[in-house]
Amino acid sequence: MAEQDAAQLQLQKEQRAKQLAEEAKSIKAKLRYSKRQVAMVFDLNKCLGCQTCVVACKTLWTRDEGMEYMWWATVNTQPGKGTPRDWENMGGGFRDEEPEAGKLPVTSDFGEAWEFNYEEVFFGGKGNSVHLQPSGNPDWGPNWDEDQGGGQYPNSFYFYLPRICNHCTHPACLEACPRNAIYKREEDGIVVISEERCKGYRFCMEACPYKKIYFNHARVLSQKCIFCYPRVEKGVAPACARQCPGRLRFVGFLDDENGPIYKLVKKWEVALPLHPERNTEPNVYYVPPISPPRFDADGNIDESKPRIPTAYLKYLFGDKVEATLDKLKAEMAKTKAGGKSEILDTLIAYEWKSLFGPFTKDPAELEPRKV
Amino acid sequence: MQCKKVTASREKLLDPAATEWSSIPGESLTMAATPLANQPSEYIKASRDERQIGKVKSLMVQSAHNGSEIFFRLTWGDQEADTKITDNNIFPDGCGILMPLNGGDPPIEEMGTKDFPVNAWFWRADFNDKAHNTVARGLGTTLFSEKCPIQTKSLFGQGAWAVVFTRPLAVPDQKEETAQLAAGKAIKVGFAVWEGSNGERAGLKSFSKEWRELTLDA
Repeated sequence: MAEQDAAQLQLQKEQRAKQLAEEAKSIKAKLRYSKRQVAMVFDLNKCLGCQTCVVACKTLWTRDEGMEYMWWATVNTQPGKGTPRDWENMGGGFRDEEPEAGKLPVTSDFGEAWEFNYEEVFFGGKGNSVHLQPSGNPDWGPNWDEDQGGGQYPNSFYFYLPRICNHCTHPACLEACPRNAIYKREEDGIVVISEERCKGYRFCMEACPYKKIYFNHARVLSQKCIFCYPRVEKGVAPACARQCPGRLRFVGFLDDENGPIYKLVKKWEVALPLHPERNTEPNVYYVPPISPPRFDADGNIDESKPRIPTAYLKYLFGDKVEATLDKLKAEMAKTKAGGKSEILDTLIAYEWKSLFGPFTKDPAELEPRKV
Repeated sequence: MQCKKVTASREKLLDPAATEWSSIPGESLTMAATPLANQPSEYIKASRDERQIGKVKSLMVQSAHNGSEIFFRLTWGDQEADTKITDNNIFPDGCGILMPLNGGDPPIEEMGTKDFPVNAWFWRADFNDKAHNTVARGLGTTLFSEKCPIQTKSLFGQGAWAVVFTRPLAVPDQKEETAQLAAGKAIKVGFAVWEGSNGERAGLKSFSKEWRELTLDA
């Protein structure tokens, strides 16, 4: 009898757990829902690694206490360990629709916000004897392995990879949060963290396969790129995009058939998500880098092999990358032969504002916020 | 469980090391992992093993009141105190007391329901003894009240934490936010402990499995 009772109780518990899971699932579906989706396309053939986007974001959003080490926008040299260090090997995301365990990146993986001896060098009369240097003995930072890249001379290579939060369609962070503090904004699909609900438990940070969530130690909560939604709401492009001197950051709605995003991602399929195998469906897409040719052993140009190994690009952007590169090369051949290419014209962005879809407004024209 | 009526001063009882506590009856509770299957996050369910949750297996609970205030002293063994979030992967120790907000029999392992909320008194080693008074209406719904009627004092030494919670028995201006207690009455109570070094936070903790009846001496 006791055994029967125990079995009955176990069954009840299992049924209740199932019920709770169903309820949680329907809450998550609501938090994930958005009517439209903003997205960005980064053309990696144009990124010059100047870090202007990085500083534009830093200046605007992450200057408060607890945010010193945060870089919501980063640009790293590929191949490289990236920011935080080795983020690609920290797990997270989904496999066969099941969430995958992830690792928490620690502060030293991001790199501390170093203090420099500005006073001493610039104002202390030691300008000729003391070097400007960070205090402590830093061994990693957000752009530590800049321009190291890969390959062997004369076939060494590298390119820059700008990253922000991917504002995923199926965000691992949103799925992970036990407090339902993370949601997609219904009007534009921007993923945000409610600072009222967040208690700093950091499951989101574990689950994000892109490691684009930061823990604020001063406020004991998690923070991340907000796609500059206060600007977007006013028709202004995010700061990282508008400040980009290379004209490589396209912004717009994914379903706007007249906008550059739709054309590059859906119509022409020349922009791909980063690490699509993580199954979060990112909404930042990349035009993959076209390689220069290799040199052979005699120092002659060998057109048959790309300098950047295709396997490496497949690792980053999935199997579609080959077809995408072929398409881009075909378009280049077309223009070389005197033809016209709408794809290349779009990517070149002759008209600066053509990058920004509906978000072309000059922020200087906005009413200053009343404080 | 008995909540003994005492005459010791508030200052004495708030001190976890006070000798007054040695004459107050206590009960050692067996603690268990919170059920992983109930966690309100598919990620947590997929990434954890229930056998690894709930590192603290036993909790000593003592309770007393002086006619106007109630005191709890929670003691448990811990090799090392985790008191600060020194890095992204570091979590502090914590403990909590749970009770139905308005009576009834809310499910303890679900942190109450919409209709039967629970009131939790929450201490964490990094709160600098500024306790939190929270209300929950189901898993993952805990919210802090702005005003906290609870005070805590904690002490770590000789491989153990001792945390004292105190609160006025009645808090008439916060009836929606904290349970109302009275001498001579009984309440349901539950307890939880988070072992920071085991990555325990949120619903990952050890808990006392079922409600205990706590009778306040008249």
